[in-house]
Amino acid sequence: MEQFFLQLTNGLAVGGIYALIALGYTMVYGVLKLINFAHSDLFTLGAYLGLTLLTSMALTDRLGPFWGTVLLAFMVMLLIAIVGALLDRVAYRPLRQSPRLSAVVSALGASIFLQNTVMLVYGARFQVYPQGILPSTAIRVMGLDIPMVRLIVLCTSTLMMLALFFFIQKTKTGTAIRAAAIDQGAARLMGIDVNRVILMVFLVGPALGGVAGLLVGLYYGQINFTMGWGYGLKAFTAAILGGIGNIPGAMVGGILLGVIEAMGAAYLSIAWKDAIAFCVLILILIFRPTGLLGERVAEKV
Amino acid sequence: MKKVLFILVALFVATATAAFAADPVKIGLMGPMTGSWASEGQEMKQVLDLLCEELNAKGGLMGQKVAVVSEDDGGDPRTASLAAQRLATQGIAAVIGTYGSAVTEATQNIYNEAKIIQVANGSTAIRLTEKGLKYFFRTCPRDDEQAKVAAATIEKLGVKKLAILHDNSTYAKGLAEEAKGLLAGKKGLEIVFFDALTPKEQDYTAILTKMKAAGPDFVFFTGYYGEGGLLLKQKRQMNWNVPFMGGDATNNPDLVKIAGKEAAAGFYFLSPPLPKDLPTQEAKAFLAAFTKKYGNPPNSIYPVLAGDGFRVITHAIAETKSTDPEKLAKYLKTELKEFPGLTGKISFNDKGDRIGEVYKVYKVNAEGQFILEP
Amino acid sequence: MTNQRTIITISLANVVFASLPFFLNTYWVDVLNSIGIYSILALSLNLIVGHAGLFNLGHAAFYAIGAYTAAILNTGYGIPILALLPACGFTAGVFAVLIARPIIHLRGDYLCIVTIGVGEIVRIALINDVFGVTGGANGIFGIARPSLFGFSVRSPQHFFYYIWTFAGITVCLFHLLENSRFGRALNYLREDEVAAEGSGVDTAHYKLAAFVVGAVWAGMAGNIYASKMTIISPESFTFWESVLMFAIVILGGSGSIPGMLLGAFLIVGLPELFREFANARMLVFGAAMIAMMIFRTQGILPAKQRRYSLPESSGEESGTG
Repeated sequence: MEQFFLQLTNGLAVGGIYALIALGYTMVYGVLKLINFAHSDLFTLGAYLGLTLLTSMALTDRLGPFWGTVLLAFMVMLLIAIVGALLDRVAYRPLRQSPRLSAVVSALGASIFLQNTVMLVYGARFQVYPQGILPSTAIRVMGLDIPMVRLIVLCTSTLMMLALFFFIQKTKTGTAIRAAAIDQGAARLMGIDVNRVILMVFLVGPALGGVAGLLVGLYYGQINFTMGWGYGLKAFTAAILGGIGNIPGAMVGGILLGVIEAMGAAYLSIAWKDAIAFCVLILILIFRPTGLLGERVAEKV
Repeated sequence: MKKVLFILVALFVATATAAFAADPVKIGLMGPMTGSWASEGQEMKQVLDLLCEELNAKGGLMGQKVAVVSEDDGGDPRTASLAAQRLATQGIAAVIGTYGSAVTEATQNIYNEAKIIQVANGSTAIRLTEKGLKYFFRTCPRDDEQAKVAAATIEKLGVKKLAILHDNSTYAKGLAEEAKGLLAGKKGLEIVFFDALTPKEQDYTAILTKMKAAGPDFVFFTGYYGEGGLLLKQKRQMNWNVPFMGGDATNNPDLVKIAGKEAAAGFYFLSPPLPKDLPTQEAKAFLAAFTKKYGNPPNSIYPVLAGDGFRVITHAIAETKSTDPEKLAKYLKTELKEFPGLTGKISFNDKGDRIGEVYKVYKVNAEGQFILEP
Repeated sequence: MTNQRTIITISLANVVFASLPFFLNTYWVDVLNSIGIYSILALSLNLIVGHAGLFNLGHAAFYAIGAYTAAILNTGYGIPILALLPACGFTAGVFAVLIARPIIHLRGDYLCIVTIGVGEIVRIALINDVFGVTGGANGIFGIARPSLFGFSVRSPQHFFYYIWTFAGITVCLFHLLENSRFGRALNYLREDEVAAEGSGVDTAHYKLAAFVVGAVWAGMAGNIYASKMTIISPESFTFWESVLMFAIVILGGSGSIPGMLLGAFLIVGLPELFREFANARMLVFGAAMIAMMIFRTQGILPAKQRRYSLPESSGEESGTG
């Protein structure tokens, strides 16, 4: 039983990160029906920029670990949001009117480009976050040793998701994003500036991905230029699992995928962990073809 | 279609002919310059560039300059086979590399058929030298050598319940299975856990939690330093104090950086001796020169082994005054004895394997330094 | 008359191409071999993505199954590798039927992730030495070279003719297929699935058939790859391989056979040309991919709309249904 609860917290922490990244995929997909494969590299870039800012500006020394990290998070979000918007401008916007899969290939190209940019700028070696910003001890909760950082990661990702949920559900811009996701044409007729919505999506989605990268850097301490692929694939899986285009779906899908992985590793086999996760995904899709929370779309006639 | 084809062909021919121009003795380097293992390949190039410069400052070989021609193998077999074909057409006297065993294997036949001496630096899979290839050598020891030392160390430490963890790569799995084979059935020692993690992930707590439940008193991790550092760090975060030992792929200062000094302290690993622990002039001079040129000592042992490959092959060319592969292979197998390498004395047996007990046991101290165990 | 000119042009191009090994060094011949294998793979994936409109990002799975079938049966039972070509296609095809049946009805991007998942599952199974026959991470080595009537295909130059003959046959067969009832049905259901269904086209059947034929061909390409490399390991069948094949199809111009050949030249050949850029070569390649897509949004050589004598409506291209 102890094993079960420990693995559950493992899964929740990883799942929280998957969910944050998955939100970026799902938001872009919702509005543009584009799988933004370069999103995973924006996540990597977030981790690297976070490291640069952290070491060059000594924020945590000046402001203390808490406010320093919060400010750092906002700076990373801002920078990655700008990169995200630029990416859209350069690689996707020229392809708005062309076949959908052309933009996918452009996204793949952008992913290769960004990954290698990071490699050339920062070098191919692992980069290491400074130690001791987040506490490295474990606390005992009901007889379980749970690392503090894991709780911090869990809280942060939950907080970010709540903020996004509020933004999407309660604000005017959020409503516009939802409207554009349902029907772009109708949204435009209703006086919604769809281009602004797209820009918004390419600011918010990458910002979340970037902050997830920072979180990964702070949590695990080690980052490398290829780490985006693995996380990206998992997060994309999570987005699909929850029903792509659906924001609560991405959150549920991410958390669920993290837990499935941890449980698969614990009770079946570690080496087959990813295969187990994909098997579960395929099974779910066979029975619910549009994901867990995805809406049933009637075939157009 | 035809036009595009024509332009492509013209480009191909242009690039192909451009390769035949220079005159120096050319030594090829095949390494992963892009992709997941790019850090190894790029450092291999640094090491070879430095050694080549030094050699040229001393007058080169046979009165000619020496040049290093490097190609990217991308760390994947298909790219590597193309890199090998490309090197084979550039008139190189020998090739150094590469890192991964499967990648090396994809190129062995190409070099063998082209009669080019290949000195691998990081490919430890046993079967590479069991095929009877005439021109294949390696400066790194084989997995079974390392497994022997690992098994001996584990026995010496009086381990009762052992966990073995690998990462499903050719190298790590080979080492894990060799060690398991050697230790299985030993009295008083039980292997309570044997499984693989997925490399390049960052959260290994699920695995650690599972491993902890199996109750080992010693863990042998055969994978790489990136994962090794994270395992150490995450094991400390969950308050688990179990000694860890790693294979030679964990020998990298980045391990300590990733894990943090407290978590890394007490970690054992196996490795060919580091240049700093060798009393020889060559090793000291190399270390000083490398640090001076690039600002830090070499991070990984494999690039240093590539350096040894370069030094051995250029030594052989100088001694035989020839770049004839037959003569070079014969010289390396029969006449080269106890060559003072950067990682200890080097001689080769008939298969092209390095002879001698190369592996030493290291332990990380509280300062995060690598200390040679007596 | 135009037809005759086309034939002359094509034959001339073929003759020029066939004589390339006499002018190029071994390295470039081997690059062309790599391009050849990817052309075959792209042609097979084109059937699935380009014609049936199924978003498949796990094509490497079928390629892997073909390659492993060849390797296991050749090294284990000594069956000549050429004789295994149909067997490789068969196993890949059977596998495709098994997995495609329950998932073929999924909508575009859901199908995409399922195919990615299948590709990953196959790769993980290979690494974990499934059934004890795949050799785990080591893979399988010592695969025989193909030989026909006592002539052994060994050097890259030999493989050039072997691979490109196979590619040529593939082009001819797929060209016939495209213009058959089967090909027309596929195009119909890609353009408008509901209308196709309404006109009596059994869409599920045709999609499945396209998927299986594509898989069979990828399996055979796997056989060729195995015999060329003589060693295979799971590293050769990663998600990245599926991505490359997919990029060839879209970049070349989905649905167009010349597009596939050109796409393979660009996607496989450009990283080789960019070797001059050393460590930055993949960066340049990524940028080139974006640029080519932006300037030719339909792919470089998009499929021509088939002309019929009736006045046609301007067919709208869309990736998936």
